[in-house]
Amino acid sequence: MKVFNLFLFVFLFHLQLSANQLNDSVTNISIKAIAGMQFDLVRFNVKPGAKVKLVFSNADDMSHNLLITKPGTRMAVVNAALKLEEKGPQLNYIPQSSDVLWSVPVLSPDQSQSIVFNAPSQPGAYPYVCTYPGHGFIMYGVMYVTSDGKMPDMKNDPNIPPSRQQDQDKALSSQKDNHASHTSAKNTLHPYEPVAPYLYRIFMEDASPAAIAVRLPKDLSYCWDAGTCRLRYAWSGGFVDNTLVWKGHTDANAKILGTVFYRDQTGYPLRIGTREGNPEVEYKGYRLINRYPEFHYTIDGKDVYELILPKEDGNGLKRSFRIPDAGGSVWFLTNQDDASADYQVSAGTMENGILKLSAEQARAFSVTMTNYSLVYARKRK
Amino acid sequence: MKIVVSLALSFLLFASAIPGDGDPVKEAYTVETIQMPEGLTAETGGITFLPDGRLVACFIRGEVMIYNPKTKEWKLFAEGLHEPLGIIAQSESEMIIMQRPELTRVKDTDGDGQADLYEKVSDDFGLSGNYHEFNYGPVKDKDGNLFISLNTASPGGNVKPEIRGKLNSLGRDNQPGLYEMYSVVPNRGWVLKISPDGKLHPYASGLRSPNGLGFDKKGNLFVTDNQSDWVETSTLYHIKEGHFYGHPASLIWNKGWKRGNPFVIPLNELDSMRTKAAVLFPQGIMANSPSQPLSDLTEGKFGPFAGQLFIGEMNRDRIVRVMLEEVGGELQGACIPFIDGHGLRKGNNRLAFSPDGSLWVGQIAFGWSGDRGIQRIVYNGTPPADIYSMNLTKDGFDLTFTQALDKAKALNPDHYKFRHYYYRYQRKPKNEGADKSTQQDIRDVPVKHIKISSDRKKVSVTLGELKPGYIYELKLGDITSAEGKPLANKLICYTLNNLLPAKGLNVK
Repeated sequence: MKVFNLFLFVFLFHLQLSANQLNDSVTNISIKAIAGMQFDLVRFNVKPGAKVKLVFSNADDMSHNLLITKPGTRMAVVNAALKLEEKGPQLNYIPQSSDVLWSVPVLSPDQSQSIVFNAPSQPGAYPYVCTYPGHGFIMYGVMYVTSDGKMPDMKNDPNIPPSRQQDQDKALSSQKDNHASHTSAKNTLHPYEPVAPYLYRIFMEDASPAAIAVRLPKDLSYCWDAGTCRLRYAWSGGFVDNTLVWKGHTDANAKILGTVFYRDQTGYPLRIGTREGNPEVEYKGYRLINRYPEFHYTIDGKDVYELILPKEDGNGLKRSFRIPDAGGSVWFLTNQDDASADYQVSAGTMENGILKLSAEQARAFSVTMTNYSLVYARKRK
Repeated sequence: MKIVVSLALSFLLFASAIPGDGDPVKEAYTVETIQMPEGLTAETGGITFLPDGRLVACFIRGEVMIYNPKTKEWKLFAEGLHEPLGIIAQSESEMIIMQRPELTRVKDTDGDGQADLYEKVSDDFGLSGNYHEFNYGPVKDKDGNLFISLNTASPGGNVKPEIRGKLNSLGRDNQPGLYEMYSVVPNRGWVLKISPDGKLHPYASGLRSPNGLGFDKKGNLFVTDNQSDWVETSTLYHIKEGHFYGHPASLIWNKGWKRGNPFVIPLNELDSMRTKAAVLFPQGIMANSPSQPLSDLTEGKFGPFAGQLFIGEMNRDRIVRVMLEEVGGELQGACIPFIDGHGLRKGNNRLAFSPDGSLWVGQIAFGWSGDRGIQRIVYNGTPPADIYSMNLTKDGFDLTFTQALDKAKALNPDHYKFRHYYYRYQRKPKNEGADKSTQQDIRDVPVKHIKISSDRKKVSVTLGELKPGYIYELKLGDITSAEGKPLANKLICYTLNNLLPAKGLNVK
């Protein structure tokens, strides 16, 4: 009997121990400061009173601190940090305030520091924020102290930065595909509804950084390069998504929302006076004619004007050139490899894919390109 | 009883609100928010005014819009520009706009109110495609020359496979761990001049992120620069032709550059080559990302600071004010907050005075800390109690105030807390934060003597021996005007580059 009691005692004691160990177990949280003044983790939850080990590491190239504050006091703490004025740098921008519960001082890139604390017994939303001047307005997150581990819907979580709520939005819309795009309010890009033709000067792939994206009617678009003074490529379908470029603070190109059907592979398509060598080109600007840009540039000092319209049936492009004073023959080169493209010209003689014009003919001529990949794509519809 | 108490409480709260700072009648300046057109993402790149009082503004997504403050209507003038960050209005039908690939003249030639001609003014500079290669300006001098400045590229970004301009890899020292801005395409990190014939002339080098140019009344050109590598705290430079301002990357675009890697030139040599800032903005204290400097040419319409410079601050709800003086042949001076809060947002990127004398502020975030939109600051005709100027003396400073002071408070030495410190000119140590900035040799500087002028507007503070190369930071205590009005701003920082030339010496 005694033995049994002892056994029971030991057993119970053992149980008790494991329970304590459970209580003493540490909730490990790792938060990184990342590029764009944000925390990689914008929210997490812990149980009331839980022992928390928070490792804060700086994976950004700027300096950041991390302060955990009492519920509802994030902005007050951010403003108090700004009011430190001349004392700010030495205090690591951590204001002396009872609203600040725990803090990690300013860390340089690749540094990390951990703090261990017992979560508040009072459930609630405890903000964490970087109070380096300017950062606190956008660089924050929230520690939820809850016994049931529940957190609000991320999409409507007021305690995380709006940009991260949108992240969730995007994830949702890609999951739900078409459905979400129907339900979400029309996200206007401009204070007007762009109607083709219109253009963006913007970074594009496969072009110099001085690229111009032009939207044409008939679901056609092209990239004209002001850095090299030529049409680079054209695509059908949607126009461009500039979201990443307009977001800023990152390298980005406009995303083409369609299928490229033409790419200039001539090296340079126009030659004035001589067919040999690399012409010197200089970009001059463009004039809008019925909202279509007519590009102005010079080739070896000779003025050239180029206007690109959609081919009337939508199966290609009509390129109209004006060279008022060529002073000699003009050559227009087409791609040697585009067997699926067909060219019609308004003047001159075409031979082996090279159009030759007299100076007189070059005053105004057009090259109309029919792209059979477009013709057949339309037939399938 | 409860009702009585709460009534009494609310009365107290109400009563205490009347004579305090919140009283709009007594405020010198009010901040108003401009209603932006629906659908516009108002990341403001540039603002300017037409003589009739209409505002012209350009925005990151390429729109140029004209706002009529009388009717509160916005009209589209132009579209499709690449990240326009500055604008000059030649007339209501012609603007000169700095966009990413070029400086462009945008014209409405058919009089329909919308631009139809986009002519290149100059694109004679490099583009690598790196996101940080912003272009700023233009500003125009009295001879019609235009000035622009080009940001260096960020190590947080790359170069595109195709670039514009010839790459020179000497403009980057690609050592691991170094976080250094770079200049591998022509004239990144320079101020450039475009003469009326359209030719581009490299003008001054050594800049990092020069987000703001401005002339003062005398024709001095000022450029602000953002701190980080090499220069540890943000700056206001007085730009002179041929001068170098400290960031070595851009040196390689000097004609006939033969020194190879500019980053390894001995520090003392670089230091002796550089022109120091006329004003340093202590990081984390005064400004972290100063933007456009704008000279107050309103001749009093905007209050008592005519001729001084206002400078936007991106990182917080602040406009900074700068006062300059010539000492030893160079401009140097002090910076002080002009307005904090009062409903002003952060992201204060562009400034312009309306013909009515109000100061308009264009705001931007563009992936950094900031805000969007446009606000304006209106002077209400009640002069603020503030520091008007801070001038160096042989052993201290003269502080001139906008109003006569309460004499007893002004003579109390406890109301003057001076510190001095300096920032090291140095190559940023490996793995140090881009915005890390260390004040060196911080020391309290005791006040030896205080004197006040007979009109009680000028206080002369004696400190003793002064150290050139230091910032003298002054935090004022509870000093008020003679009428009891508290000072609007109490923290001021003087950049002491030069001491006053000793008297009796024949200085040329």
